[in-house]
Amino acid sequence: MKKTKLGEFEELVLLTVAALQEDAYGVEIKRELETRLKEKLSVGSIQSALKRMEEKGFLTSEFGEATQKRGGKRKRIYATTSYAHQVLAEMRDIRAGLWEVIPNVSLT
Amino acid sequence: MKQPNHYAPPKWPLRLLRLFVKEEYLEEIEGDMEELFQDNLETLSYRQARRMYTWEMIRLMRPLIMKNIRITLSPNPYDMFKNYFKISFRSLMRNPLSAFINIMGLAVAIGICMLVYAFIAYDNNIDQFHTHKHSVYLTTFFADREGTLQQYGQTPGPLGQMLKKDFAQIKHVCRIEDRNLVLKYGDQVFTERVRYTDPTFLEMLTFPLKWGTSQSLADVNSVILSEEMSVKYFGATNPIGENVHIKLGNAGTKTFKVMGVAAPFPKAHAIDFDFLINFENLRLSESDGALHDWNTLVNATLVQVEDPSDLKIIQQGMDKYKVLQNKEVQKDWAISSFAFEPLATLHKNSAQIRDDISVDPPIESLVALPVIGIFMLALACFNYINIALVSTTKRLKEIGVRKVIGANRVRILIQFLVENISVTFFALVLGFILTITVFLPWFIPVSGRELELNLIDSNFWVFLLAILLFTGIASGLYPALYISRFDAVKIFTGSVQFGKKNPLTKLFLGIQLVLSCILITGAVVYMQNTTFQTMRSWGYNQRDVLYVNIPNQAAYEQLQDKMLQNANVRSLAGSKDHLGKKISTAIIHTPANRQYEVEQLAVDAHYVNTMGLQLSDGRNFNDQSENDKHTVIVNELLVKNMELSNPIGHQFRIDSTKYQIIGVVKDFHTHSFYNPIRPTLFKLADKKDYQFLSVQVKNGSQEETYQALQTQWAALFPDSPFQGGYQEDVWGIFFSQLARMEEFTRTIACMAVLLASLGLYGLVSLNVAGRVREFSIRKVLGARLLDLSVTIARQYLVLIISALAIGVPVSYMLIHTQLNMMFAYPMPMDFSGVSIAVLLLVCVLLGVISIQIRKVAKSNLVKGLKVE
Repeated sequence: MKKTKLGEFEELVLLTVAALQEDAYGVEIKRELETRLKEKLSVGSIQSALKRMEEKGFLTSEFGEATQKRGGKRKRIYATTSYAHQVLAEMRDIRAGLWEVIPNVSLT
Repeated sequence: MKQPNHYAPPKWPLRLLRLFVKEEYLEEIEGDMEELFQDNLETLSYRQARRMYTWEMIRLMRPLIMKNIRITLSPNPYDMFKNYFKISFRSLMRNPLSAFINIMGLAVAIGICMLVYAFIAYDNNIDQFHTHKHSVYLTTFFADREGTLQQYGQTPGPLGQMLKKDFAQIKHVCRIEDRNLVLKYGDQVFTERVRYTDPTFLEMLTFPLKWGTSQSLADVNSVILSEEMSVKYFGATNPIGENVHIKLGNAGTKTFKVMGVAAPFPKAHAIDFDFLINFENLRLSESDGALHDWNTLVNATLVQVEDPSDLKIIQQGMDKYKVLQNKEVQKDWAISSFAFEPLATLHKNSAQIRDDISVDPPIESLVALPVIGIFMLALACFNYINIALVSTTKRLKEIGVRKVIGANRVRILIQFLVENISVTFFALVLGFILTITVFLPWFIPVSGRELELNLIDSNFWVFLLAILLFTGIASGLYPALYISRFDAVKIFTGSVQFGKKNPLTKLFLGIQLVLSCILITGAVVYMQNTTFQTMRSWGYNQRDVLYVNIPNQAAYEQLQDKMLQNANVRSLAGSKDHLGKKISTAIIHTPANRQYEVEQLAVDAHYVNTMGLQLSDGRNFNDQSENDKHTVIVNELLVKNMELSNPIGHQFRIDSTKYQIIGVVKDFHTHSFYNPIRPTLFKLADKKDYQFLSVQVKNGSQEETYQALQTQWAALFPDSPFQGGYQEDVWGIFFSQLARMEEFTRTIACMAVLLASLGLYGLVSLNVAGRVREFSIRKVLGARLLDLSVTIARQYLVLIISALAIGVPVSYMLIHTQLNMMFAYPMPMDFSGVSIAVLLLVCVLLGVISIQIRKVAKSNLVKGLKVE
């Protein structure tokens, strides 16, 4: 595996973006992750993860629509790149491979 | 659905957000935050939501999201500053004359400030070198004088010994009494100030000895010299063991052995000595007087206590002395209480204490010094500002280039401030040299103090640094701010509006003009006043009178006989006191039970004539009449104070003796003109008390007679020093002070004129430079020189007139107040001084403007039109 430099939190955010598709903008990502992780996240941590991954080429973004609720400000919709898919798949395969070689472990 | 206003998120976090978040992220994040806030409102209270919003906002401060606020450090600041200095030096050298005057102005101002510092530092240090200054006290007493309590620094003679005997808390007591005695060593004979004192003197006061031991003062036959006196009599050799002869009044000449020489005194001192001898010698010479008689006062009694809180107890215990004292003495010298003054504050308070040992030469002539210092500094600063603004017109391109290469406004600001501080530093060095070489030597005689700039004094360095930074920044900040404002693009396209409208520079120039007006008026009035004071009548004929101090009656008679044979002598008088040399005070009691303190002169019947005093009423004394022993001649002021309509025949009492007024003389000066005329009376002196012989000579024969007098003296009394002089010279110091102050104010005024004209020159040339094109067009269209002159001059006319309108009354009042403070009889001020100043100033200003007009008239209009 090449050095993808994808942290654990980043990987989670990236997966969320991929899952949310057209709805993948800041607040929605935060909401989704919070329900799944069952913990509070700050805007700052999400935003910096997004920006960092955009810089690394895992994400692209473009402006979406503006809503009243947002005070007339546009959303930024994030989308995963193919490179991100490749890395995510790679990660999943590595994990799956590892799981297979683990002898039966009781998961209680 | 629009949210009601009061459900809006807090404002300031949003502002913070806008300030630091990268612009490209702003919209997204702002929207996210808003949406989140609205979401939160559904589950949380408004207050909680707001708090959450703020908290989130703060947590957004991450380097990835924030703007790049990078602090750029120059890779090599040394080169940058080197470049600054090089450029500033070049721009200074481009106009060396104005740079010189500018720096000179600053240097003079800084020099005066240093002088002020030296003066104040000196004053605060006087008598502060004594180790025991907090435990040594001067005994003083209060007495009622014409209704007010006056503190006296002298003490009744017996008090010192009694204090020592009665109070265990007092560690040391030291009495001090001074006499002017004739001292002889080899063939050198001089009258010297000899200090009788107790051996504790050198323990209580810190005067280390260079040679010998301080214990030797306990020996009644030894004498301790000051460094100065040692050099005077013995040169550089060690005089220990040498014998000197001192004539101790009645006891005749006594031989003293030199047993000690003091190290040089610190410069800032008021208490010192020339010769110290044991106090016991006073008893020998003056028949017990000062030791047991409550009626006589000794010059000072110092006490040293272990614990200052003991003083209260001592003070209370001193009431019995009061009783003792007041029983003995005349009622009018009654003491109301005793008090102690610590050595540490004695000098500071010596103005309130009469006749204390820590007195100083008068400093009235220097009250204006700090004011002059501040004025000059302000003038120089304003001038610098104006000149700096002008000189930068020539440096606009430089600033533009710097900005293009990447200097921001702060850089330019720093550049100009650094430049300015280095110029100020230069001025500071120059000012220091100026102070050492010119100002201090000038002021030492004027102030009568050995002023010095003490380089070891750390406060002095702090002061210098403060002056440097203050002057540098005060004068440089405005030009730097002004210059750094311009846009590089505007500079290169030439669309910078320079010097057209800048009310601030005009204001600065206005202040400059006002200050110069004050300084010039001061100088002119001072010169007028010096003439006035010199011409002022002394109230008697001081020009034709010579005087000489004589030791006793026999000497008087011998000299009188010889001098009366001299054809030039018109009149001769003997006296116990003498105008300008010695005078005593007395209290007179009127029958109506009023008291007046007066100065009294004990003289003979010829004194009034000899001195040329003018009788305005009554008659002179008669030597032959026994009755005249109880008569007095008073001056007009005393008559006025006593409110007598017919003074002749009026009687009053001095001590227990009755006196009758037989004559009134016109007022005359017994002190220099700093002091007002005091109520004065003459009474007849006993012949055995004569101490002065004065002669009035034919006009023009003063020098000849003076030499004759000296020759006679040398023939008659080879063992006594000749102590006499021209009456005109008794206030020599006063007049030389006047002359020096005049010299000083004149220099200051010249500097002020120079600075003001330079400031105006700068401003006018700036203005003209900005309007070259306009003038060229005017010329093309046929404007004559006169029209151009009017255009240029008109805008300054208002400025000059309004500056003068403020300056004239202000200078008049200031100078008037100052004169009144300095002199008891100031010149009656008219407007001539101010007028001369204004005239001078206007002439210089017109000259400056006309130079610029000439420049415009001669300029090539084709070139002028080409100016972008």
